[in-house]
Amino acid sequence: MEADELLVLVAGGDQRAFERLYALVSGPVFGLVRRVVRDPAQSEEVAQEVLLEAWRSAGRFDPNRGSALSWILTLAHRRAVDRVRSARAAVDREQREASRYHDPAFDQVAEEVEAGLERQLVRRCLTRLTALQRQSVTLAYYDGYTYREVADRLSLPLGTVKTRMRDGLTRLRDCLGGAA
Amino acid sequence: MSLFGLFRRGDLHSLAAPYALDALDADERRRFERHLSGCDRCAAEVRAMTEDAVRLAWSTAAPPPAAMRERVLAAVQRTPQETSRAPVRDRSPQLPPHVWGTQPPPRRSHAPRARRPLFVPLATATAAAALVVASLFAVQAGRAQDRLAAERAQAREIAHVLAAPDARAGNGKAAEGGNIGVIASASEGQAIVTLSGYDALPAGRVHQLWLMRPDAQPRSLGLLAGDTPLVATGLDKAATSLAVTVEPAGGSRQPTTQPVVQLTLKSVGFGE
Repeated sequence: MEADELLVLVAGGDQRAFERLYALVSGPVFGLVRRVVRDPAQSEEVAQEVLLEAWRSAGRFDPNRGSALSWILTLAHRRAVDRVRSARAAVDREQREASRYHDPAFDQVAEEVEAGLERQLVRRCLTRLTALQRQSVTLAYYDGYTYREVADRLSLPLGTVKTRMRDGLTRLRDCLGGAA
Repeated sequence: MSLFGLFRRGDLHSLAAPYALDALDADERRRFERHLSGCDRCAAEVRAMTEDAVRLAWSTAAPPPAAMRERVLAAVQRTPQETSRAPVRDRSPQLPPHVWGTQPPPRRSHAPRARRPLFVPLATATAAAALVVASLFAVQAGRAQDRLAAERAQAREIAHVLAAPDARAGNGKAAEGGNIGVIASASEGQAIVTLSGYDALPAGRVHQLWLMRPDAQPRSLGLLAGDTPLVATGLDKAATSLAVTVEPAGGSRQPTTQPVVQLTLKSVGFGE
């Protein structure tokens, strides 16, 4: 059964359907949260919150407006970004930078779960973007920076960053095409 | 529209991509969402770009720690869902055709009223309801906000069961003096269940509530914490009884001990 149908059942209080949904989405949810939040313990905490939130508010899911996976991953991303931003506000910036780029534990995990075609496809498509498009998109999506922070880090005007993000996503869509 | 107005709209519109990437701060996010609710073109654009962003998410999939599954499933068992009590008619546009078919869903208020008289004298039902309400509002000061929100949600659920035209109360006693109380609505498939007269369980043990059905495994309805009422949903009409067992902390997938108390559901309109 597809995630969409399962989520509709979950909205009706079906716990078995939730177990099956968990099997489908927990990997993508955890992976995404971990990519953004990075700290393993905090990632687990956020991922749990997201999955519980999916149970609680399944009734809000509208299949006409997108897939169940998009709904859950959008929720997961929002929560992960919120967490990393509040953590960032609390932690000394320089110290964080140092740990961010030297995190062998994470890289190792990333290698271990090399998730086949989709991952390779996304990576390949990211290389088709211009450097500024790619950086604008990934600093925002994978690292949780606001577009203002991205502009700051890349020393670009705000308008340019917004355009790079839009063009980057458009080019990514063209490259990924219908290949799911 | 003033030039300034045009500028503002254009400015907001350019935030579609940062919004899809969650790259707006909280204030801008709110502002853009307000704009979005009145701009169909932006909504379509945001939807498409959100799908693109989700492709970025897919490629990060990683196996979660095994223990996370048990924790999440246990939490799900004791977490009530958000319930939209808006008339079904109002929600129907959001529901897919494969759920409702082409016919509009029946309205809740047209549900046929149960013909049978209340099995339990109203006074008993009222007393049980009073117990439910009393324990519900025994909220210690200073509890976390989400706890309060969960209890409000539960209060709404309880009110909903109590308001059902076929709501009935039932009661079961165990030999040891324990007691299980239920107020249930077969048409809603919901029941409020309370357990009383039991001493606190030793550490690491919990009371777990089960739904017993013919030709099916018992289904867990959740864990009972002290005398806090539990709202069980999704009960099918064929359900025959409720049972409570003592299980290890976090609960079990299937009962591992003999029930400490059982209650047949026929008296409250089930088992047909």
